[in-house]
Amino acid sequence: MTAQTAAHPPLARKPRHPYRAALATVRGRTGLTLVGLVVLAGLLAPLLAGHGPTDQSGLALAPPGTPGHPLGTDDLGRDLLARLLHGIRADLGIIAVAVPLGAVLGCLFALAAAAHPIADTVVQRTFDLILAFPGLILALAVTAVLGPGRLPVILVIALAEIPVFGRLLRTGILVQSGREYVTAARVGGTSGRRILTRHILPNAADPLVVQIAVSLTVAVFIEGAMSFLGVGVRPPEPTLGAVLSQSMPYLAQAPHFAAGPLVTVTALVLGLSLTAEALNREIRR
Amino acid sequence: MTTPPLLEVQGLDVEFTTPDGGGLHAVRDVSFTLRRGETLAVVGESGSGKSTTALALLGMLPGTGRISGGSVRLDGEDLVTAGEDRLRAVRGVRIGMIFQDPMTALNPVLTIGRHLDEVLRAHAGRDRAAGRDKASRGDKATAGDSADPRTGGDSAVPRSGRDKTAPRTGRDRAARRARAVELLHLVGIPEPERRLDDHPHQFSGGQRQRILIAMALAGEPDILLADEPTTALDATVQDQILTLLGELTRTTGTAVVLITHNMGVVARACERVLVMYGGTVVEDGPTAEVLTRPRHPYTAGLLAAVLRLSAPSGTRLVGIPGTPPDLRLPLAGCAFAARCALAEDRCHTALPPLVALTDTVRAACLPAAERAEPLPPPVPPTPLDRPAPGAVVLTAEGIRKTYKGRGRRSFTALDDVSLSLAAGETLGIVGESGSGKSTLARVLAHAHPADAGRILLDGRDVTRPGRAELHSVRRRVQMVFQDPYASLNPRMTVGEIVAEPLRAFRVGAPEERPARVAELLRLVGLDPAAADRHPRSFSGGQRQRIGIARALAPEPAVLICDEPVSALDVSVQAQIVGLLTDLQRDLGLALVFIAHDLAVVRQVSHRIAVMHGGRIVETGGADELCERPRDPYTRALLAAAPDPVPVAARPSVARTPEAVSV
Repeated sequence: MTAQTAAHPPLARKPRHPYRAALATVRGRTGLTLVGLVVLAGLLAPLLAGHGPTDQSGLALAPPGTPGHPLGTDDLGRDLLARLLHGIRADLGIIAVAVPLGAVLGCLFALAAAAHPIADTVVQRTFDLILAFPGLILALAVTAVLGPGRLPVILVIALAEIPVFGRLLRTGILVQSGREYVTAARVGGTSGRRILTRHILPNAADPLVVQIAVSLTVAVFIEGAMSFLGVGVRPPEPTLGAVLSQSMPYLAQAPHFAAGPLVTVTALVLGLSLTAEALNREIRR
Repeated sequence: MTTPPLLEVQGLDVEFTTPDGGGLHAVRDVSFTLRRGETLAVVGESGSGKSTTALALLGMLPGTGRISGGSVRLDGEDLVTAGEDRLRAVRGVRIGMIFQDPMTALNPVLTIGRHLDEVLRAHAGRDRAAGRDKASRGDKATAGDSADPRTGGDSAVPRSGRDKTAPRTGRDRAARRARAVELLHLVGIPEPERRLDDHPHQFSGGQRQRILIAMALAGEPDILLADEPTTALDATVQDQILTLLGELTRTTGTAVVLITHNMGVVARACERVLVMYGGTVVEDGPTAEVLTRPRHPYTAGLLAAVLRLSAPSGTRLVGIPGTPPDLRLPLAGCAFAARCALAEDRCHTALPPLVALTDTVRAACLPAAERAEPLPPPVPPTPLDRPAPGAVVLTAEGIRKTYKGRGRRSFTALDDVSLSLAAGETLGIVGESGSGKSTLARVLAHAHPADAGRILLDGRDVTRPGRAELHSVRRRVQMVFQDPYASLNPRMTVGEIVAEPLRAFRVGAPEERPARVAELLRLVGLDPAAADRHPRSFSGGQRQRIGIARALAPEPAVLICDEPVSALDVSVQAQIVGLLTDLQRDLGLALVFIAHDLAVVRQVSHRIAVMHGGRIVETGGADELCERPRDPYTRALLAAAPDPVPVAARPSVARTPEAVSV
């Protein structure tokens, strides 16, 4: 018998998990820092704000740097910093529920599609149906039924994300099930369910992780747009979109009014995009 | 030989940066020259740096690769320091390139005419821009070599459009089309005028490779770099393409650098050969000389490991033990020293220079420089004592399998195939791509159902088994796959992969499985410590051993091996073939051994079945079939198999099938 030892010596350094390697790049770190700052601001809102988000003072449209109101006040004399921080908090609360909800539902649909050809057709056509509605029309339709509030926003975001995740996972499953190691597992007697959970899913999951970062970005936009249009969270509770919407009539005399939410949304979206891009590059390598 | 070399490579070094920041020295101090009209083979195993060298010549290194030293001189002009614009002018016009896979190198939505037209248009534009430069250079080149065929070959071409200062596009297009027809004719595509408007899928693999050669020739290059041009092709087609390349060198005077891992191709097509190992050139000389009297132990080992068609059934070859060097580590001495049987102490410490041993042969080996007598001849293949086959275990009768295509077209992959297999017997199945041999393997392993016919296992009909019966059939019939990279789940550790069938068939208690996995890994010659690592940290040969361990886990009676060695290097092939033979002897396995390489099949098989177009055209004892083939297709297959014997050393009638048996 050909005696052979495992000739490749074990590498001195154990290769890092690709996700960790991705997040350690400059791109990944910048993204994480931006996201981290925004999230921290939202979490610590009650400590940092100093005012309640709906407390009114006598000063209307005070400029930034006014004592007690570092970012100034809005048209109703409410502290802008407090409204911004609580707005972030409200936004994060929405997207942190809505995106995972959409992802989980989408993945469940994809698994159902993988189980049977008829289920596949049904699921595919359902996705097509959802995708046929532009996001805002869907938002208006949902609010028309449920009325404005936090729940419709969550529902709209989740609905918009279901086909995205569903199609991504379905494609992944189809690609992986054509691979030779799946045939090998089948010939090796492994049961269908175990092939799906143990062999196919771990290999199809990478794009989903990237998609979560992308979808969080999209969710920030959807929430902002819905609040901006007045079909989102009900005033006076602040969200980023609501503050922005409120600032529009005063854009000429008080540009600082709009600056807070704009900068925050930009930072959050940029951070999430950078993170997604970093993960994507590392995974595709 | 007074002409100056066309291409002169001096001390070329190429480095890559690995993802974790380390360096990988892929090519180390490579030097060679190429003369006009010469065919040079660059031969080596995977990771030897042969493809990287070729890409470095054209400044086309992928990813993080960079040339860290040395020079590449084309007619005296250094290409390493040349700018990207200059390199673009060299690519295609002076150095053409042919790639390995003709199936993916053509754009499926464009006609062949469009492909050729695009290349011709690109060259025409560049010629106009650099017209004066090229003309003057051409003069210089022809001055030393009056028989420069580039001028002769062009005379028939209508190229008036190109010389006009303001050419009209209509005339230009007609001229390009005429030239495209001429190029297709040159590479042997029948009815070129008509086929110009066909799409790539309407051509066979060999024809597509011909079209790619035509595209590479469109710029009338001085040098053709062919990177494994026939590896993806069948033996008979490979033979045709090599003949074509030979004719092109003769008629157009183009020099060819042929990169290959196949010693048979080297012997068949090239005058000179450069043997590479671990990123270094180990030997360089005329093919006839190197193949008959190798100076470097690696060349000798490589030649000894090549399976020859003349080797009778039931013999064993010695592969080169060990695995290629890790290119991430610095090289202290000879790259081959760790695997070399003749290594001396100085081999591990001193870098051997490439020195001329005779007028024509250079080798990088310290002891070889002092050795007067030739290296000891390779150990002749030793016959094995194979136990006689036992009772029949697997029978297939009239198997038929049809795949439905789009529309009404369907494809018959298996047409009335019958075979039987006894315990302890190896049945070789040989055929070219599309002959249905892989489909047969999958039908026998119950990965796909058969459309018609019967499969009997131990006398029981198992053609359409129920769920429980399928489980018991799979336990008896296991499979080894072709691609050791695709057939192992990258997310599982080796231990988990090998334990998977144990778990599925409930072999032993869960706590006994690690011990059984270790035992299986030892059985296939791997360190049991491998169980904790992922497949990616193993070489191709080691991965194939893992695949074999997985197949053996449920203690099957029948092992179906679908091209188990065709993705592996020559020296590793011999190891895996030896392992399979040993396992068969020790475990009494019945083996179905599928391959396209007749030499491998003859060596391992008791009996051979030749498949063609979904049918078995001939079956017989392995030696009997190879020496006295009856079917014309078997004869063609035998004739096309490249043997690593220099053309001059072959009997002159060697190409006729009757003489192959000699």
